[in-house]
Amino acid sequence: MKRKKVILLSVPVLLLLSGWYGYSEYNRRNKDMSAVTVDLSVTATDLIKKFEADETAADKFFLTKKEFIVEVKGNVKEVKKDEKGYYTIVLGDTTTMSSVRCSMDTTHQDEATAIKAGNAVIVHGAITGFNKDELLGSDVILNRCVIYKSN
Amino acid sequence: MNRKNFSVLLVLVMAGTLLHAQEKFYTKTGKIFFKCTKASSPEKIEGTNKSITCVIDTKTGNIQFAVLMKGFEFDRALMQEHFNENYIESDKFPKSEFKGLITNNSEINYAKDGSYPAKVKGSLLIHGETRTIETTGTISVKAGKPVINATFQVLLSDYKISIPSLVSDKISNTVDITIDGALDPLKG
Repeated sequence: MKRKKVILLSVPVLLLLSGWYGYSEYNRRNKDMSAVTVDLSVTATDLIKKFEADETAADKFFLTKKEFIVEVKGNVKEVKKDEKGYYTIVLGDTTTMSSVRCSMDTTHQDEATAIKAGNAVIVHGAITGFNKDELLGSDVILNRCVIYKSN
Repeated sequence: MNRKNFSVLLVLVMAGTLLHAQEKFYTKTGKIFFKCTKASSPEKIEGTNKSITCVIDTKTGNIQFAVLMKGFEFDRALMQEHFNENYIESDKFPKSEFKGLITNNSEINYAKDGSYPAKVKGSLLIHGETRTIETTGTISVKAGKPVINATFQVLLSDYKISIPSLVSDKISNTVDITIDGALDPLKG
């Protein structure tokens, strides 16, 4: 009798829990990069080297996961504001054409306004891949970036 | 050579360098937006990527795009994960590319501000499959720099992207794609 009562009670509880889980999963937004645990902390030049040394291996390492979040430390080469007002912070060594391009999160655009070429920054972002181009220079692209630290 | 002749030569050389430098234009912050929402769907199936690369050679009419598939952003994280894992398989096919030609390039005056229709034909690689596409977009020259804009459609089935029957009332096989970007001169 007692067992039957427990089963009967647990059914609606389980239904409620699975319903709540489904609803929260459906409405889940992308993580804000200012409050995440990073998968890897790396300098901009080392990150570029990983892709330049073996693009296939780097793609496999960085792109197989749902989302690979990196903390990148580097020098700002350029702060680019596009025609729609979105900011991209370009990190790397000014003597080479290769860069880490950090496309700023739409809700963190204001953080980029204070950044200038020559600043040292730490950026958090999700890796989206590598664009190899001899004409334009090769770039590692990060998305939804936030400025974690700057000086 | 007297001083006057030398000045003329210098101006010509500089003008030549300038003209040469402005044959190619590029952007690394082009935008691509796609939607494949069925009329019956209660939610919008659409994504945006703000970091596409585009290069135009104004002399030859060659035009190229490169898009990293993981760079698409969606309103809902779950939709973004499904897009990458189940549909586009971005771990296997991280990049999409378009390589083509502006077939009416001679009708576009890149040196004169204005809006010009641009007929484009080329091959589009998505999900490891390449198909020929053709569309007419616009190239607007503003302050000597081209701004591109194009809208076209592709079929998911052409690129071997299948829609599970469970979501076939939400996702359309026809995808509307919009591309735009303001290009800068490529120096060097």
